[in-house]
Amino acid sequence: MSDLRAALARIGGFLGPRSDDDLREELESHLEMEIAEHERRGLPRDEARRRALMASGGLTVAAEAVRAQRGLPWIESIAADLRFAVRTLRRSPAFTAVVVVTLALGIGANTAIFSVVRGVLLKPLPNRDGARLVYLRHSMDGPGGSNIAFSVPEVRDFRTGAPAFSGVAEYSPFTLTLRDNGDPVHIDVGLVTGNFFEVMGLSPVLGRLTRPSDDGPGVPPVMILSHEFWLKRFGGNPDVIGTQLRLDGKPVTVIGVLQSAPFFPGKVDALLNMVISEHHLSAQMVEGRTHRMTEIVARLAPGATLQRARTEVATVDARMQSEFKEAYDPGSHYRVSVIPFKDALGERARLTLWLLMGAAAFVMIISAANVANLTLMRGVGKEHELVARAALGAGVARLRRLLLMENLVLALTGAVIGTLIAIAGVRLLISLAARYSPRANEIRLDGTVLGFTLALSLILAFLLSFVSSLPKEGTFASVIAGGGRRASGNVRKQRLQRALVIAQVAVSVVLLAGAGLLTRTMLRLADMQTGLTTESVLTMDVQLLDFTSADSAADAAAKQTYMRMQREILAQPGVVAAAVGYPMPLRASIVQLEIKAEGRSREAGEAVPMAEFRTASPDFFRAAGIPLLTGRDFTDGDAAGTQRVVVVNRALVDRLFPHEDPIGKRVAWTGDVLRFTPFSGDWRTIVGVVGNTRDGGLEAPPRAAVYSPFMQESSFFDGLVVRSDSNAAALTSAVTRIVRQMAPGTPIENVMTVAQIKDESVSPRRLNAVLVSSFGILALIIAAVGIGGVLAFSVTARTNEIGIRMSLGADRGRVQRMILSEGGVLLAVGLALGVAGAYLASGILGGLLFGVAPHDPITFIGVALMMMCIGLLACWIPALRASRIDPAITMRT
Amino acid sequence: MADKLEVKQGTLALMILKTLEVLGPLHGYGVARRIEEVSKNRLTLNYGTLYPALVKLEQEGFVTAEWRPSENNRRAKYYALTAAGRKQLAREARDWHQTAELIAAFLTPRDKGEAT
Repeated sequence: MSDLRAALARIGGFLGPRSDDDLREELESHLEMEIAEHERRGLPRDEARRRALMASGGLTVAAEAVRAQRGLPWIESIAADLRFAVRTLRRSPAFTAVVVVTLALGIGANTAIFSVVRGVLLKPLPNRDGARLVYLRHSMDGPGGSNIAFSVPEVRDFRTGAPAFSGVAEYSPFTLTLRDNGDPVHIDVGLVTGNFFEVMGLSPVLGRLTRPSDDGPGVPPVMILSHEFWLKRFGGNPDVIGTQLRLDGKPVTVIGVLQSAPFFPGKVDALLNMVISEHHLSAQMVEGRTHRMTEIVARLAPGATLQRARTEVATVDARMQSEFKEAYDPGSHYRVSVIPFKDALGERARLTLWLLMGAAAFVMIISAANVANLTLMRGVGKEHELVARAALGAGVARLRRLLLMENLVLALTGAVIGTLIAIAGVRLLISLAARYSPRANEIRLDGTVLGFTLALSLILAFLLSFVSSLPKEGTFASVIAGGGRRASGNVRKQRLQRALVIAQVAVSVVLLAGAGLLTRTMLRLADMQTGLTTESVLTMDVQLLDFTSADSAADAAAKQTYMRMQREILAQPGVVAAAVGYPMPLRASIVQLEIKAEGRSREAGEAVPMAEFRTASPDFFRAAGIPLLTGRDFTDGDAAGTQRVVVVNRALVDRLFPHEDPIGKRVAWTGDVLRFTPFSGDWRTIVGVVGNTRDGGLEAPPRAAVYSPFMQESSFFDGLVVRSDSNAAALTSAVTRIVRQMAPGTPIENVMTVAQIKDESVSPRRLNAVLVSSFGILALIIAAVGIGGVLAFSVTARTNEIGIRMSLGADRGRVQRMILSEGGVLLAVGLALGVAGAYLASGILGGLLFGVAPHDPITFIGVALMMMCIGLLACWIPALRASRIDPAITMRT
Repeated sequence: MADKLEVKQGTLALMILKTLEVLGPLHGYGVARRIEEVSKNRLTLNYGTLYPALVKLEQEGFVTAEWRPSENNRRAKYYALTAAGRKQLAREARDWHQTAELIAAFLTPRDKGEAT
């Protein structure tokens, strides 16, 4: 009982008002009574006081003892240490500011990048048992072959042949036109099987999801909105459940809203059952082995491993390929890989993000090294203070605790500022991540990220507290005997400082080399010849036909509308040329088919030649700026019902007619897939050849392409290309007005100049380059400060020595050279290590580079020169200061 | 000086409680003087020993403290025994007697100390 009471009283004493005054008064009254007693016995006042004080054992000691009894001594002493640390740091504001800023930059960069890495790559999927989801990827050789999807018969084979999967879900990406009260838009949808959500482990936040009873023909079409689309388009209104929307002109009932979840390969606005697309239920789709439009996500059965799933899938794949030889051209190397779904989602972001994480970690290392160096230098200045404290009875542990407290204050302040930097930086990074990952919206500075930040700063504080060595317990005496004023510290300390500087230089060089390579990649891409003149061309996708509801009459009507638009646009002031076609310049066609040349047979082992299907109206090439190399452009005479003609690009000629004049030769679409397309296998005569253009990304090699006259093919995907005599973007409103007027129900999408399309492949690289470069420059600055600081310190420490040298006849130049060479050695060693490290590290950059070898000598030499110049400059300042030392003054002290 | 003793852990509280019982409310100086007198100056109490012990007794509720004018018209903090303090004193005194007897029995030569 009394113990509890005492404990409460203690806490009260700790929290409550301090009664130090009361205590002092009590002790003084005690002293006075004792003095009075001595006086009464005849002692003089001074002597009485002296005796009383001696007997007291020291008022301060007593007050301390009472305080210890009254409150919670360990918390109080930590609080005291903390106050002491803050006071000490406040006394050296420059040191504190430099350290806090350095740490804040390092911690901020790491927090921001880690939040992205976690959100995009590490965080568990929101799907139930998301770790057991796998994505199946079907690939083949050749452009566009990295992900060719599966056909329904293939899906069936995997469903029956791989018992390692407890469920195989089908997901067919598709585009539909939504027309409701707002502007008409194309929405990205997935057509899914009834088991899809069960396999994916997803739940609705509203309404219900599809079930197996929603499969097949004869059921009403239903849709489930993605969480994002529901918020964006319907403002999160729950009443949307049960309403009907018109998709491609057909009524579809909204039955549910899905929980927020990432999709692959891209974002999705809604998920529907298959019945919306007649084609998906047709015999062609269901029976056609080469009709590949379906993505597969599967769930591992309980107890099944990824390894077992891979083995089974490989077995099924091998059986399919031997059983249906006509569907798998051996020259194209068809293959199926099984990838954890989470990895598939993070695939495109992984390299970039780990690169940035590595760069941020490097910045952290350099910052920490710098702070360690500063601490070491300050530690030397503090040696005196520490020795004095030790002499007054502070143990090593206590001194260590004081240091730790100081470093904790520094690191945590750095962490707070760093987190603020990260909050600002994360917005930028989310837009970067959105280019690479469907999970960008999951990036948050959440508890885990802040925990990471806290852990990072605690580790830093501990490391920093143990860099500066304290004398061993009991050896303080020798330190005091040594005079405590050996300002340069001991040899070990100096060696550590030098090692830290070398590490800083080396790591900076590695970072700068990476930054240099990425910058050169970006410049290479920006300088890339696109194959066409990009100035003054405006493009837009205007799809008059709905995928699921067009017939030939609608197609003919659409063509008339396109031509009317073209004529009207051409009549606008400032328009030089206007044309209709697909795809827009620098875009890749989504249709790629097998092609054959008349009279040419394939050599054994040669991969099947493929070409992109494209369409163009007369004047398309001139409007788009694609050069016509030989032959003629399409004319109005190349209409429906006339001879089938085509214009091909240079890459196709190189592939099929390497040593011949292609004009007048005939080509035809071929292959099994042709059955599922609206394109015929008729022979077409080549009438012209155009130059290659860098379509589908500047870094992609040119693809073989065959252009058909716009009038001779169905116009599902067409868009408009408008060339202006000056500023193309200024035509936007006039052109969209015309389109809107002639086709009010048609979405107008991707209104972009060709320069903007080109920039789409450059800008992610630019962001990479800018981020890594800013890390590199940050590292360079910190390293320069580091090397300069260490030299400046060395100069201070050697002031006496330099004074002696100068009085013995060393001139200023000699002193400067002495200091410069001291720094130069550190710089040279750091450079050598850094170049070696960069040589090893740049290999992993390979996938992010274009047009630059990972070991590009120009970059390496440039980076080395830059580091050397900045490093020498940083050495110059202390060297200059050394040479100004006045021997007369230094000798006196 | 040679026979000065350190105050044994745990005994100081007992001495303070007994002093307050015998002399009534008293200030720290009075308590110290009394203990020194009773010990015939073999014990000396510095402030750092005495006052934490007083604070502890106050926290445990065995004594109360109050500022009052002292005999020579100065202000002093007077400590007084509480009811709980009295009980604690009785308990501690009993314990101490028992311990002392036990130790004495141990240390006394056998032939003389067998009676009890």
